[in-house]
Amino acid sequence: MRIALVLLAAGTAAAQVTYSDLLKADPNNWLSYQGSYNAQRHSALKQVHTGNVSALAPKWIYPIRGAGRLEGVPVVVDGVMYVTQPNEVYALDARTGRVIWEYRRQPALQRGVNRGVAVYGNKVYFGTPDAYLVALDARTGAMVWESKLAEAKDGYWCPVAPLAIKDKIIVGIAPGDHGLNGWLDAYDPETGKRLWRWHSIPKPGEPGSETWSGDSWKTAGGDTWLTGSYDPELNLIYWGIGNPAPDFDGDVRKGDNLYTESMVALDAETGKLQWYFQYTPHDVHDWDAVEIPVLVDAPFKGQMRKLLVQGNRNGYYYVLDRTNGKFLHGSPFVKLLNWASGLTEDGRPVRVPGVEPTIQGNKVCPPTAGATNWMSPAYNPDTGWFYLGALEGCGISYKAADKFRPGGFPFMATGYVESPAEPWQMHVRALDLTTGKIQWDYKQIASRGYGAGLLSTAGGLLFAGDDQGSFTAHDARTGQALWHFNTGQKISASPITYSVRGKQHVAIMAGSNVIAFGLHEPRP
Amino acid sequence: MRGIVIGLVVLGAVVLPAQRRRAGQASGLSLPEEAVAEGRKVYNQTCTVCHGVDGTLGDRGPALAGNRRYLRSTDEELLEAIRDGIPGTLMPPAGLSEEVVRKVVTYIRSLRVTAYDAPVKGDVARGEKIFWEKGQCGQCHVIQGKGGLVGPDLSNAGAQRTMSFLREALTKEKPRPPRGYQPVRVVTAQGQSVTGILKNEDSFSLQLLEANQKLRMFDRAELREVVYDAKSPMPSDYDKKLAPQELEDLLAFLSRQAVTRVRRQQLGDPQP
Repeated sequence: MRIALVLLAAGTAAAQVTYSDLLKADPNNWLSYQGSYNAQRHSALKQVHTGNVSALAPKWIYPIRGAGRLEGVPVVVDGVMYVTQPNEVYALDARTGRVIWEYRRQPALQRGVNRGVAVYGNKVYFGTPDAYLVALDARTGAMVWESKLAEAKDGYWCPVAPLAIKDKIIVGIAPGDHGLNGWLDAYDPETGKRLWRWHSIPKPGEPGSETWSGDSWKTAGGDTWLTGSYDPELNLIYWGIGNPAPDFDGDVRKGDNLYTESMVALDAETGKLQWYFQYTPHDVHDWDAVEIPVLVDAPFKGQMRKLLVQGNRNGYYYVLDRTNGKFLHGSPFVKLLNWASGLTEDGRPVRVPGVEPTIQGNKVCPPTAGATNWMSPAYNPDTGWFYLGALEGCGISYKAADKFRPGGFPFMATGYVESPAEPWQMHVRALDLTTGKIQWDYKQIASRGYGAGLLSTAGGLLFAGDDQGSFTAHDARTGQALWHFNTGQKISASPITYSVRGKQHVAIMAGSNVIAFGLHEPRP
Repeated sequence: MRGIVIGLVVLGAVVLPAQRRRAGQASGLSLPEEAVAEGRKVYNQTCTVCHGVDGTLGDRGPALAGNRRYLRSTDEELLEAIRDGIPGTLMPPAGLSEEVVRKVVTYIRSLRVTAYDAPVKGDVARGEKIFWEKGQCGQCHVIQGKGGLVGPDLSNAGAQRTMSFLREALTKEKPRPPRGYQPVRVVTAQGQSVTGILKNEDSFSLQLLEANQKLRMFDRAELREVVYDAKSPMPSDYDKKLAPQELEDLLAFLSRQAVTRVRRQQLGDPQP
C-alpha cells in the first residue's frame, strides 16, 4: 500500500505562535523565556497545588549530550518543547521527552552558555556562540535564515534567549567584560533583516556621552545578555544593561558611565530610548543590571501604577514607574551589604567611601557574583509578593592596571574571590511588592552558589532549586518546602510549567538533563 | 558552638578532600622561595578571576594547579602564554614585564610540584613512627587500610598535595572544617543525641559518621536540633607538639604516601 501525502505549501499552514498567542500567554504553553511579556513567571495552572504536590513525580528525563550546567529555559508550544545548549536546539515531545528533531550548528564554536529560544510564526529563533541570530523551521529544525549580530573574532557571542514581539525579534549580546560595547537589536522575523539597533554606550555628542571620561566610551561594555520584558500597551521594551569595562578599575572611566548598570525602556517600533534608570552609577563591582525586569500593575501608596520591579545584583530591590522610569522605592533584600548606606529620594546609592576594589584586596558585600543574578524571579498576584534567589556573603575584590586588547580578551582589570570570613549562603525570599519587606526567608542548606530561578503557580506554589541538586516546591505564603526531588546535579536554570492533554507538567533543566514532572498516577 | 567531642581523640592531619581547593605556595622546594612568594602576589592580583585563587579552578579558565596534566608544562611555554596571551582563547597577554612574568611562572611551577616530587628534608622511617605514635595521626587518618575513619585517607596525600599544603594543614588553624569532616551533633525528635562527622547534607537530609563508626542517615524533618562545630577537628599545633626535626620527619613520611604514583610506575607510565 502506498500512503499519499498531501503537502501543504508552507504559506498556507497555520502558524504555530502568533503575536496574539504571545499576548494571551495561554498557561497550557510556555511560549517564551519569561513565559509572558510581563515576566512574572506566574502560571494560572493549578492542577498541581499545595494539597497534592507531594504526589509530583518525574515523568521523563532527557539528557543533553555533552552539556555541562544548562542555564536555559524550555519553551513549550502545543505539546512540543524546545530546549538548547550552545550551538544546539532540540524539539521534544513535551509529554514523553522523545526527540522530534535536533539542530547542530557546525563548526561549533565553544563560548558561553545558551538560555533558550523564541518562537514566532513557524520559526524558532536562537543566538549562537559565533554571534549569529538563527531562525529554524519549528516543525523540522531546518535552518531558514541566519543574521550576523557581530564579529565573533572580535569576541562577541550571543547567549540570549530572543524576545518575540509583533513582527520583531529582539536580541542582545555578550560580553561586556571584554570591553566590547553592547546594543539591543530588532530583526524581521521573516527575513532576518535588522530593523533597528540601539547602542547602550552613547557616542561623543550624544546624550549620556558626558558620563565617560576621555576615550573610555570606546571600550565600555554595557552588554545585554539576559532577556528583558515588554509592555504591549506602552509598546516599550525593558532591558537591563550590563557592567562597564574594565569591571574593577573605575579610574580609567570617570563619570556615571551611562547606560551601564541601568534599566532602559526602548520604543519597540524605533528602538529609541524613552527613559532610563541607573541602579549603580560608576560601578566597580561588575554588578550587571541585567536581572529580569518584572512588570506589575498594582496600587502604590494608594494609587494604581504601572510598576517595574527588579532585584538587583547590587543587593537592592527597586520599584520603578515603568511609564517614565521614576524611582518609587528601593530597599536591601540581603543583610550583608556594605557598599552603600542607602538610596537618595531619586534612587541613587549613597556610597560608603572606600568600599571598592584595591590592589591588596578589599571586602565588598554582596560579592561580585551578586546578591542575585540571572536566575529568574517570580511575582504571585495572589500573595502580592515578589520572590527571588538571594545570596548572602561577601567577596574580596582586587584591581590592577589593564589594557584593552582587540580580539576578544577579558578587559576586567582583575577580579574577586569569596571572602573566607563570610562564606556564601543561598536563600529564597519573598518580598512585599511595594515595600520590599521580607515576608519569608528559606535557607537552602549547604547551598553556597547561586543557581535555580523561580516559578509561581496559581496552585499556591513556588518552585525553586539549589546547587545541591534539589528541585523544590514551596508554599508561596510561608516558604515551607512541601515537596523536593534530588535531580542529582546542580541546578542553574529556571523552571516552567505547561499542560498537555489536560495534565500539568513542571519542567527544569538540572545539570545536563531536562526533567519533566507530573502528578503520579497509580495504575487503575 | 565549639567543642563537639566525637568520642575519639581527634588528632591528626586533615587534608581537604579531592574536590576542594588545592592551595598553598611552595616551600622546601628547589624553587627560589622569594620568587615564588613574589609570583604568588602578582598571580593573586591578576589571574584569579579566570584561574581561581592559588591556581584552583576559576570561573573562566582551567585550574593551574592540581592533579591533572597540563597543556603547557615547561617554563618557556608558561612564560609565552602569560606574556603573549593564547590566541583564540580568553587568555590575554599579561601586560607585565618579563621579569615579573618569570616570577609568576616560578609560582605556577611551585603550585604543581607535589610533596612526592619535592626534596625530602626529614627521615621517612622516623616520620612513620611519629604518625602512628607521638603524633597520633592514625587515630583519625587511614593509610593503606590502617588507621581511623574520622579524617581523610592519606594513602595518596604525597601525590595530591604540595609540601606547603601539608605543612599548613599541620600548623595553621583552618577557618572552618573541610566539607565532609565537620563535627556535628543532632538530636532526634525522640530526644536521642547522635554525635559524629557530617559527611553530607542538604535542606532535606543529613548523612553522618557516628562516633562509633556507624553511618547514620536522617531526614531533616525527624531532627529536632542540628548543632555544627565551627572549628575543624584537625589540630594545628604540630609545630609546638613536635620538635622541629620531628615535624620534618612527619612531613617526609606524608610526602611518600603516593599510591597512584606507585601504580603508575608499575604500569610503566612515564607521566608523573
